[in-house]
Amino acid sequence: MNILKKSIGRFPLGVWIAIIALISLFLAWFMQAYSLLNWDIAVDIGFQNERFTGDAVERAWAHESWSVAVADMLWAMPLGIVAFIGILRKRFFGFAAGLMELSIGVYFPLVFAFQRWTTYPETVIIAIVLWTIPSLLGIIGLWANREYFEKY
Amino acid sequence: MLEPTLITWVLVIFGVFFIFLPILYAQIQMAFRPHSQRSKDIIIGKGEDWRDKTHFRTANGLAWADLMIWLPLLAAGSIGVLQSQIWGYVLWAGSGIVSVYISIVLWFSEREYVYPSCGPLAYYTYVWGFFVYWGIAVVTYSLLRLANIQF
Repeated sequence: MNILKKSIGRFPLGVWIAIIALISLFLAWFMQAYSLLNWDIAVDIGFQNERFTGDAVERAWAHESWSVAVADMLWAMPLGIVAFIGILRKRFFGFAAGLMELSIGVYFPLVFAFQRWTTYPETVIIAIVLWTIPSLLGIIGLWANREYFEKY
Repeated sequence: MLEPTLITWVLVIFGVFFIFLPILYAQIQMAFRPHSQRSKDIIIGKGEDWRDKTHFRTANGLAWADLMIWLPLLAAGSIGVLQSQIWGYVLWAGSGIVSVYISIVLWFSEREYVYPSCGPLAYYTYVWGFFVYWGIAVVTYSLLRLANIQF
């Protein structure tokens, strides 16, 4: 754990890992926001997998993915912004919000993995590599540096 | 400074009996016996069947993720806060955040199917509401306690 406390520039390594994990989650929130604005183009780009114009099953999946995108915009993204600002300002609320945000970063790709492994295994692997693993490492990095954050 | 107060105990007991134990039971059924009628009775409603593959896979995905992440966070957090530990409040807040997050997803994805069959009282209490109320209460309470505000 000591290596996570080693200072590299402005922050310890563990905090940098958390910052990178948060930036990676912001990429997800950007993809979700873009999808809500134009679902069909988001499917063409590869941000989403199913269209609302397909058969009944495809529409059902699209509706489920849309619900996740809305939840990300209403809950996860604002929390991520609070976490990012708090961590950059070395405040304790950033540490707490960061851990909460990264919990979502671990949790939801796992839901997705169990849901979609048989239909979209490559997307599942990308989600785990891009979000679950960095979020898990970010949690460890933040926790190792909990004394680094000011209390108020 | 972080010793449990009456509110801590209320939130812990509510979390254990209305969130943790029912979800643990339901998700163990769903994860290990996904096609059994008992799983369908618990997750969808008595005598009901999966609407389609999407419905089943979503329930199955949530079951595994809850068993691997959310419920351990909730259990460890509850133990931690009763031991007056900072990590307890942090884990507890994490479980509260996940509880609200998944409730928002379910609001938009499942409400149109679940609400008409269970009615407002059940929906806004044990079917969906408790998870939001408890989640928000735990996040708020944890953050206030971590900011040294005792109540």
